[in-house]
Amino acid sequence: MSDVIINNPYLMLLLEHFGIDVPLQEKTMHEVCCDNNINTEIFLTFANLYNRNNYVPKAPFSFTDVLTIVTYLKNSHKYYSEEIYPNILSTIKQMNELNTHKEMALVEKFFGTYFSEVKEHLDYENKTVFPYILELIEKIENPDYPMRQTNFSVDEYQEHHNDIEEKLDDLKNLLIKYLPQKNDQILRRKLLFSLFELEYDLNIHSQIEDLILIPLVGKIESHLKKKK
Amino acid sequence: MIAETSSIVYEGLAGIIYKTGAKTLISRAHTFEEIQQSCAKRRCELIIINPSFVQNNVKPFHTLKNQFENLKWIGLVYAYYDQSLLSLFDAAINISDSSEMISAVVQKALDHTPLKHSHAEDVLSDREIDILKLLTTGLANKEIADKLNISVNTVITHRKNISHKTGIKSVSGLTIYAVVKKLITLENLTE
Repeated sequence: MSDVIINNPYLMLLLEHFGIDVPLQEKTMHEVCCDNNINTEIFLTFANLYNRNNYVPKAPFSFTDVLTIVTYLKNSHKYYSEEIYPNILSTIKQMNELNTHKEMALVEKFFGTYFSEVKEHLDYENKTVFPYILELIEKIENPDYPMRQTNFSVDEYQEHHNDIEEKLDDLKNLLIKYLPQKNDQILRRKLLFSLFELEYDLNIHSQIEDLILIPLVGKIESHLKKKK
Repeated sequence: MIAETSSIVYEGLAGIIYKTGAKTLISRAHTFEEIQQSCAKRRCELIIINPSFVQNNVKPFHTLKNQFENLKWIGLVYAYYDQSLLSLFDAAINISDSSEMISAVVQKALDHTPLKHSHAEDVLSDREIDILKLLTTGLANKEIADKLNISVNTVITHRKNISHKTGIKSVSGLTIYAVVKKLITLENLTE
């Protein structure tokens, strides 16, 4: 298992989002998954998404796998809102102190606004979408379970799903192509590296939601409808 | 960019082109969608394409061709294709061509690219600057169209070109670009 991580250090994020602790010792991937109560198929699918461009997940997932997926997504939300976005924001603030060009102040504002948009989106998923999905699972196990959100459906979530990667791209272009440099070379590089790290993870995050979570929840919904 | 599903063919062709000393970056596309995505993302001068990519995508191919007029297309032919399909490309490379022939075809296609190695392609036109300025004041596409007496579609096309050239899509990002380029001053910005 450890060699998989050594080959692509970004997979450290994958481990964290799954709640898997290092050191991994000499354990195989299957052993690590068993120790952490994770379906190996899900782990492999996600790892493949991290490792390959255009990987199309194939494994048929069971309804209860949704629980693992939701936990994974919740953990990555925590990484976004408590770690990487605040880190980027503070790097921009430091840059702003060194580089007194007025544009840098605009960048700080740009990113601040963007961060609040992202937080809003994550909040929506944490407070509306995920609880709804967990209730669906509850309903499968116990048909009499009274759903709190009866009007909601996964289609609505799909519509709400906007492109949060766009502004990251904008910022990368501004930093590389346009923003005047002044004493900020090291910080700028750090900032760019964090932006790429975030983008890498976000990209996989949205693939998990679009290619795996949403279709699977759609299946659960129609399964429950049939039962009615 | 080389659009080719076979790794042997791709690696071989890329190797030949690099060997000619061409100062270029070669990327690879596996599907027609990938070609569309990368064209939209970064500037590409030349696409060497296996005609099978186009066979079932003739319509989107024409759209792409019209959208990126300066882009050259070279067919990479190692199977039988109808002449009408092959005539869509600017030139062709055959699987049996020698390295010299291939590099000549590639060189010729690149030489004819107008504005080659110039930054002019990424610089906004006067009209695009007009639109960018209005955008930063917070006007919507429709309002800009009315103000300049042009159609909303034209505004949208200009906006696409602006984003394509700068790599920036959001209005707030473009505003920072406009300030850096001194197209607007901070005082012009409405809070």
